[in-house]
Amino acid sequence: MKITVTVNGERHRLDVEPRRTLVDALRDDLGLTGTHVGCEHGVCGACTVLVDGEPVRACLMLAVQADGASVATVEGLAGDDGTLHPLQEAFSRCHGLQCGACTPGMLMTAVHLLDTDPDPGRETIRAEMSGNICRCTGYTGIVDAVAEAARRRVTSETS
Amino acid sequence: MAAADPAMTADHGPASGTPVRRKEDARLLTGRGRFVSDLALPRMRHVAFVRSPVAHGRITGVDTAEALEVEGVSAVFTGEHPAIGPVAMRAQSALPGYVETDQPPLARGKVRFAGEAVAAVVATDRYVAEDGAEAVVVDYEPLPPTVCAWAEPAHPVHDEAPDNLLLSRTFRAGDVDAALADAHVVVDRELTTNRHGGNPVECRAGVARYEAADRKLTFWSGTQVPWIVRTQLAELLDLPEGNIRVIAPDVGGGFGVKAVLYPEDVALCLMAMAMPGTALKWVEDRVEHLLAATHARDHRYVLRAGFAADGELLAVKADVWCNAGAYSVHPWTAGIEPLMAGGLLTGPYKLADYECTVRGVATNTSPSGPYRGVARPSTVFAMEALMDSGARALGMDPIALRRRNLILPADVPYRMPSRLVDDSGAYEACLDRAVATFDLHRWRGEQVRRRRDGGRPLGIGVGIYNELTGLGRAASAGPRMAFRTGHDACTVRINPDGAVTVFSGVTSQGQGLETTMAQVVADALGVDYGDVEVRIGDTDQSLWGFGAFSSRQAVIGGGAAHLAGEHVRGKALALAAALKEAPVEELDLRGGQVYMAGQAKPIISLAEVAKVAYLQSDRLPEGFEPGLEGTKFYDPIRGAFAAGAQIAALEFDPATGEIGILDWVCVEDAGRIVHPVIVDGQIAGSIAQGIGGAMYEHLVYDDAGNLSTGTLLDYLMPTAGEIPELRIGHVSTPAANPTGVRGVGEGGTLAPNAVVAGALADALGVEIDDLPVTPARVWELVHP
Repeated sequence: MKITVTVNGERHRLDVEPRRTLVDALRDDLGLTGTHVGCEHGVCGACTVLVDGEPVRACLMLAVQADGASVATVEGLAGDDGTLHPLQEAFSRCHGLQCGACTPGMLMTAVHLLDTDPDPGRETIRAEMSGNICRCTGYTGIVDAVAEAARRRVTSETS
Repeated sequence: MAAADPAMTADHGPASGTPVRRKEDARLLTGRGRFVSDLALPRMRHVAFVRSPVAHGRITGVDTAEALEVEGVSAVFTGEHPAIGPVAMRAQSALPGYVETDQPPLARGKVRFAGEAVAAVVATDRYVAEDGAEAVVVDYEPLPPTVCAWAEPAHPVHDEAPDNLLLSRTFRAGDVDAALADAHVVVDRELTTNRHGGNPVECRAGVARYEAADRKLTFWSGTQVPWIVRTQLAELLDLPEGNIRVIAPDVGGGFGVKAVLYPEDVALCLMAMAMPGTALKWVEDRVEHLLAATHARDHRYVLRAGFAADGELLAVKADVWCNAGAYSVHPWTAGIEPLMAGGLLTGPYKLADYECTVRGVATNTSPSGPYRGVARPSTVFAMEALMDSGARALGMDPIALRRRNLILPADVPYRMPSRLVDDSGAYEACLDRAVATFDLHRWRGEQVRRRRDGGRPLGIGVGIYNELTGLGRAASAGPRMAFRTGHDACTVRINPDGAVTVFSGVTSQGQGLETTMAQVVADALGVDYGDVEVRIGDTDQSLWGFGAFSSRQAVIGGGAAHLAGEHVRGKALALAAALKEAPVEELDLRGGQVYMAGQAKPIISLAEVAKVAYLQSDRLPEGFEPGLEGTKFYDPIRGAFAAGAQIAALEFDPATGEIGILDWVCVEDAGRIVHPVIVDGQIAGSIAQGIGGAMYEHLVYDDAGNLSTGTLLDYLMPTAGEIPELRIGHVSTPAANPTGVRGVGEGGTLAPNAVVAGALADALGVEIDDLPVTPARVWELVHP
C-alpha cells in the first residue's frame, strides 16, 4: 500500500505491506535506526515515537496507520548544527543512559511529558516514565535528567 | 577530534576521579548508535528460527518443502543439513566428575527444551523468513520432561548422564560434623530461588558474512566476549583464527546473557559459510529471548549452620542444586552456577568448618548461564537467612551477629573455606556507613511505633556481600576450562598529529568503557581526555581481551590501559629528550606538552614528537625506530574482592499484600573510582536488577516444560515506578592493581534477595524460604 508520512519534518512516500509495523518502516525503509525495538509487544517502550504529538508504540502501530501523519523520532531532537536537545543534554549530564537501547524511547516519552506538564515532580516523572523499561540505570539517572531538564526550562522561561 | 568540555581539561588535572562526559553519549543520545540490530549490508538476507514447541521429544521428521515454496525464501537449514550436521558444540572442562555433552547448532535427533532451534529459514526479509518458518513441519515423538532439578529425573536429558547430573563437587574445610556437635545452637533452612534472566533491552543479534575466495568470516555480534567467540568459532568452523573477525559494536545491554556462544550464533555462521557472499542477519525477538537465551538462579539450598553462644559462626553444611537446563552452557559449562555457589556461599563471614556439595543438573528447560552476580544473589540470600535464623535462635540482634563474624581488615588476606583469598576486609566499614546513612535507630523506632499504634507492618532487611572481581590467572573464571581468563591487552597509539587512539580489549554493553579507558590512558600518558579516542569490540583492531564478565574489565582492561599508557609515555619522553638534547629524567608530559623540570613553558609538544616519529625520519635520533605506540598485557594474578552492604526498610499492606520500599541504602568498596557517575550508575542498575529478581522476575515452567511467562506481560521487570530512590555511598580502599580499582558491575545485585526477604521476615516474624517475594506471597503469609 502506498502511504505518505512526514518524519521529523521530511515527507516520505512509501509502498509497504499492510502488515508492516511503523517501527520497521522507520528503521528498515527510511534508515532511521535510532528508534529501537525491544519487545515487539508493546510493553518495553523502546520504540516510542510521537505520532501527531502523541506517544505511540511504533511496534504496535502499522505503517499504513501512519498514512498522512507526522512522526517525530529521536533523530529529530538535536538541532541541525548538532546542538543537543535540552533533554539529551540532561540525560548526558545526569547519566540517564548506559547502553543506549532504551534511550530513544525514554527521550521521546520525556519530550511528551514536559510538553504536557512542564514542571513535574519526581513522583510524576516516575509514574509517567513507567511505561519504558531500562535495564541498565536503575532509573535514578533518568529521573534526575528529566527533572533537571524541566528545572532548566522553567528557569529559562521565567528569567 | 574536538576537545572535551574545556572546563574539565583546562588545568590538565587528572581525568580519573572526575565525571567527564561519556564518549558514548553523543551517538547514543541522537539515534546514531551502531547496534548489530541496525546493521544493513548490500543484498543481506534475514533468518528466522523454527523452535521446538515441546520440552523433550524425538524428532521424527522435518518437512521443509512447503517453506521453500514461500516466495522470498532462499534456503532452509535443519540439524541434519550437510552444512550443520557435522558440527557440535561441547563446553569443556577437566574438572573431575564433569560430564561433557554435545549441543548441536540446530537440534538433531531430539529436542531438549521448548524453544530449542530446530530449523532456520533464510529469506529476503524477516517477515518472509517467519512465513517460511511457519511452513516448516516438524514431527515430534514426545518424551517425558524433567523440569525441576531436585525431582526424580523422568528420562535422561543426555544419554551420557543417566541421572541428569552434569557436575557435582564437594567443598570441604575442617570438620563440619564435629563443629556442629560443639555448637550452642544449630539452625536449618531449606530455600529456593526463582529462575530469572538478564533481558537486556536489545535482544541477541548477529550478522554473518563469509567470503569463500579467501575463506574469511566476519561476524557482527552483540556479544560481551568477541575474542572468546573468535577462538571458539575457529575450532567449530575449522577456519584459521586470523580469518575470523568478530565485531561487537554498540551492544544494548548484556548482564552475562551475551557472554555465551549460542547455538544460533554458530548456526548463523555455518549458514553464511554455506551461502558465501551473502550476509545473513538474525535479530532475536523478545519471545525468543525469554524462551531460549540463558536463564539463571533456579536453585535449592538445604542448609545447616552452628553458632557458639557468643554468636560465632562455627559450621556451615550445605547441599545445593542448580538447574543447569538442557545444555551445559558454552563455553562456561554447567559448573558456572554451582561452582560459584560453593566457592562463595560463606561470603564475607569467617568460617573454618565448611562442607558444601553443589550439583549442576540437566533438565528440559532453557540452559542456565552467566547472569550478573552469578549464583551469589542466591547464596547471599542463603547465608543471610542463616544469620537471621541464628540471631533468632540466640536472641541476638541480627546486625550484631553479622558483625561478630565479618572478615575484618586485620584478617586479610583471608583464606575462605573454599580457599579463595579475600583481600578486602571492608565489610564492617561498609556496614557501619550503611547503618549510619540509613539511620537504623530511627527506622527501628518507627517499627516499634507501628507495632504499638497499628499501621502497615514494617521490616528492615540487610545484606552484606563480597564480590570477587577482576579474576587473574590464579582464580580464573571457569575452573579447569581450556583457557584462563586473567589477562587483557591494550595498545596505545599516538597518531602523527599527536592525538591518541587506544585499541583496547575490553567490550562495552553500557558500562561506558570507552570513557573509562580514555580516562586511564589520558592520565597514564599525560594528555587531555578529549584527545583520546578508544576503539573496542573488534578482534581485527585490538590485540586481545576476554570480555565482559566477573566484573573484570575496569580492573584488568584498565590495568592494561594504564601500563600501555605509561609505556608509550616513556617512549615519547625518550624521543623528546633526544630531540631536545635534554635529560629524560627531568622531562614530564602533561596535557600533550613536554615540560622540563622547573620550567613553566613546554620544550616541545607531543604532536611535534609524533610528527618526527612518523613523518620526518631524517630528524629521528640514532637508535629510534619510527612510530609511537605500544602494547601491554595486564593480569592481576589473583583478583580484587569488592565489599558491600545494603539495608532497607520495607512496608507490607496486610489487605493487598502490596510491598512498599521506604528507604534503600547501599555502601560499597569499589576501590579507587575512575568515573564516579559511571560507578554509581553500575551500582544503581545492579540493585534495580536485584530488586527485579527479588520481587518481580520469575521464569515459570509448567510440569510439561512449557514456559508460562513467555512475554513481558507475564515476566515483569521493574520500572521507574517500582525502583525507589537509592542512596549510594562509598568506602574507597584502593586495590593492589595499577589503577587501584575494584570491579563494580555486579555487587549491587547480590543483596536485594536477602534484603527483601529479610525485611518481610522481620516485619511479620516469619521465615521466607522461597523467592520471589510478591504481593501474593505476602498475602498468603498474612492470611495463613
